[in-house]
Amino acid sequence: MTRIPLRPLARILEARSKGENPDRIERDNLRHRHEEMRGRSRLRAEGRLVVLAGLFLCAFIVVGVRMGVLSQSEPRETQGAASGVSIATARAEIVDRNGRILATNMATHALYAQPPMMVDHEVAARELVKIFPDMDEEKLLAQFGGERKFLWLRRKISPEQQQLVHDIGEPGLLFGPRDMRLYPNGNLAAHILGGAGFGREGVSAAEVVGVAGVEKRFDDWLGDPENSGQALQLSLDLTVQAAVEQVLAGGMGIMSAKGAAAVLMDVYTGEVISLASLPDFDPNNRPRPLTQGDAADSPLFNRAVQGLYELGSTFKIFAAAQAIELGLVNQGTMINTRGPITSGGFRINDFHDYGPELSVTDVIVESSNVGIARIAIQIGAERQQEFLASLGLLTATPLELIEAPGARPLKPRRWQELSTMTVSYGHGLSTSPLHLAAAYASLLNGGTLVTPTIIRQEGVARGARVISSEVSAQARDMLRQVVVRGTASFGDVQGYQVGGKTGSADKPKETGGGYYDDKVIATFASVFPANDPRYVLVVMLDEPEIFASGELRRTAGWTAVPVAAEIIRRAAPLLGLKPEIASQGASGVTLTSN
Amino acid sequence: MSFLEYNIKTTPTGIRKVLYVNWFLVLLICSVATIGFVMLYSVAGGSFDPWVSPQIKRFAMGMALMFFMAMVPVWFWRSIAGMAYFVALILLVFVEFTGETGMGAQRWLNLGFMRLQPSELAKIALIMVLASYYDWLEISRTSRPLWLLPPLGLIALPTMLVLRQPDLGTSLLLIAGGGAMMFFAGVNLLYFLAVMIIGVGVVAAVFLTRGTEWQLLKNYQYGRIDTFLDPASDPLGGGYHITQSKIALGSGGWTGRGFMQGTQSRLNFLPEKHTDFIFTTLAEEFGFLGAASLLTLYVLIIVFCVISALRNKDRFSSLLILGVAFTFFLYFAVNMSMVMGLAPVVGVPLPLVSYGGSAMLVLLLGFGLVQSAHVHRARSK
Repeated sequence: MTRIPLRPLARILEARSKGENPDRIERDNLRHRHEEMRGRSRLRAEGRLVVLAGLFLCAFIVVGVRMGVLSQSEPRETQGAASGVSIATARAEIVDRNGRILATNMATHALYAQPPMMVDHEVAARELVKIFPDMDEEKLLAQFGGERKFLWLRRKISPEQQQLVHDIGEPGLLFGPRDMRLYPNGNLAAHILGGAGFGREGVSAAEVVGVAGVEKRFDDWLGDPENSGQALQLSLDLTVQAAVEQVLAGGMGIMSAKGAAAVLMDVYTGEVISLASLPDFDPNNRPRPLTQGDAADSPLFNRAVQGLYELGSTFKIFAAAQAIELGLVNQGTMINTRGPITSGGFRINDFHDYGPELSVTDVIVESSNVGIARIAIQIGAERQQEFLASLGLLTATPLELIEAPGARPLKPRRWQELSTMTVSYGHGLSTSPLHLAAAYASLLNGGTLVTPTIIRQEGVARGARVISSEVSAQARDMLRQVVVRGTASFGDVQGYQVGGKTGSADKPKETGGGYYDDKVIATFASVFPANDPRYVLVVMLDEPEIFASGELRRTAGWTAVPVAAEIIRRAAPLLGLKPEIASQGASGVTLTSN
Repeated sequence: MSFLEYNIKTTPTGIRKVLYVNWFLVLLICSVATIGFVMLYSVAGGSFDPWVSPQIKRFAMGMALMFFMAMVPVWFWRSIAGMAYFVALILLVFVEFTGETGMGAQRWLNLGFMRLQPSELAKIALIMVLASYYDWLEISRTSRPLWLLPPLGLIALPTMLVLRQPDLGTSLLLIAGGGAMMFFAGVNLLYFLAVMIIGVGVVAAVFLTRGTEWQLLKNYQYGRIDTFLDPASDPLGGGYHITQSKIALGSGGWTGRGFMQGTQSRLNFLPEKHTDFIFTTLAEEFGFLGAASLLTLYVLIIVFCVISALRNKDRFSSLLILGVAFTFFLYFAVNMSMVMGLAPVVGVPLPLVSYGGSAMLVLLLGFGLVQSAHVHRARSK
């Protein structure tokens, strides 16, 4: 910047010559300079204002255009589904073999609060506690007054409760629609259905996910929106299930048992018609799993599928049938029943002394441990294992419940001669009642393997042959004899030709080493009708006791058998079986004519 | 310009000063405020309670204050600028300890008859102190780095205090207002350019590091940015206000649904409908035309202020006027952008329309300063 000197020498000299004050020149020049500077800054400021005006203009145009665009836009309500991933609703229903509903959905609401929108925290908290007495007013107040903008109050509320909450008139209490899983039959078939809970949860919808049983096993299929409107059809028969559960519960009560299980299976298709485990629960309101103690004591525990027990003498028929199949014996072969047998420091004895020898049929009928152990020795460990494996007794069942794959039978660590003998009368090998039912079905239906299933099957697909049909028929005959003249005489149901085998196994001590002598697992595995097999029924009671005929009875003949007989008496007509009353012959009939 | 230089003969004195007030500006302010009353009446469902009556009272009080300030010579305001700034700082520190909390942010000071936001007061005080600083500073030194430090400090102090409350919106407005004052005063453009480049760099860094180990913000802060960029991603949470107000604006169309016919706002879909989001009610009931009219009134206010500033030869006066005008501009520009989803939701009211005492009082106070500068401007002989 070129500066004009404040005191130009020429002008000062000139002023001096004129007698003027040279300081005035300096002041003038200074003023000029300042004015110049001010003018420049003014120009600059005006330039800045132009920039600013441009900025303002841009802002106005942007705001104005945006306003125009918005006012032209179609108002569109936001969809609740827009909040994150859409959550599939309308889970498929579950029905029984006749289409009766076992599990369905009900529209309910969840209750949540948005404290910032609330008008009066105190009134809201006070009124809520009136409706839901288990809520805590102080806690609610603290939550409403806190930082949170959103909080769940109740996952599921009834329509009445919803109305009451609505009547509070608090805008900060809001409802989100919920599809709730409903089991209209309550406890019925609880262990099969399992139950459902909420998975991913949004404000306006929540995903229903299975937590146990069929609900969990078929979770993907049930939750697939493509299947909504369809139903999962189980092989279960609701009426039979009701009868079985009722009788079983009654029997369990009378026998003071701590648990009970029953499996009713179609002998050809392997369809489970009824499967019950007691004590049970309400799948609409599943209890929490036990945090301490034995999980098997929880009502959630499915004794029929998850429970692994030594099922005792019910296993004897497997050894007898296999021996006949192998040609080692026939039904009439006499077996040495003189006891005890000692092997490896272990004594095998009988409950009674059955004399020196019994026929194979009578070994079954009388349930001789010594007799069946001698037959098993002839079969040998290897062949016994093969046969039991072919019946599915050594692996987990393929039943379509989420719990089934976990129930792997407990096998003897070293399966040698001693194990061969004990397994033949049902000790040393622990299986579930379902395993037993499936094995009986395979053995008695003519000798073809059945696969247990909970899903309704169309027609019969015969499995691999496990035993000849002749031996299968002989096995049925022997089982029939057990009921007619053996340990299961209480099991006879007129017209239904029940055949079966009892088993009363001492319970092993939980601490290991030895057995209780006052606790048994009483089992009755039966088939009916024995001449034309249709169904297999396994009833198991855990620690039954009953005072009958002057003494305390625990054996299956006094406990599981009468319960099973009552189940068959009630269920058989429901299953469409006609009783076959044998002609009584002419002897007792007096002819009125002639 | 000192008092002695002041040309007393050409400047109105006594009660005659009232005639020299910028009456157009007063008219515009009254019109905008009236729109506010009408909207509050509508939002309340056709009732003077609970918002219109107090709002009118406060407006009347504010107008009285404005006229009072207009009567006081502008050099008095210049002489107390430093004091005003100091008082505002004290008040800001004071709310830090005793302030009441409103809507999650601590920023109110209860004066008994009204609740005051010291941060609002700080905006005007900052403008005053910066205007007097640049009036005092020799023009040739304006862009010297050393002489940039005092104004930066003056801006930073209240900004820090407001940020602690925490009120990000107001602190950004303080920075913007202070920056604008420096801009008007003639600070070299290169500084602004540098700040802009740094700002863009920081924003880029924030976004580029997202998801890596070095990310600069917490995840929830990124979440807020996401919600701003796409409110539909969270229509019931952070994006709720914006989504609802957009619906309201859309349903208004060109001419609106008619007075008292708005649904979005009347049916309580919108929280804050009488304060920060009152513009949606206007846009819904009077449509684009109504909203554009309000915008026009605002623009006219700014235009009158700028003209007044240009005609004023006193540096303090014109800086003061421009500062107040720019603050006013920031208010409605940010509010409207926010309502229309162009800016994130920060608590900025629609000036002179939204319900609330502090902002209105402080704006009228600012306009009082503008009027004072206008009345007492040096007139050519």
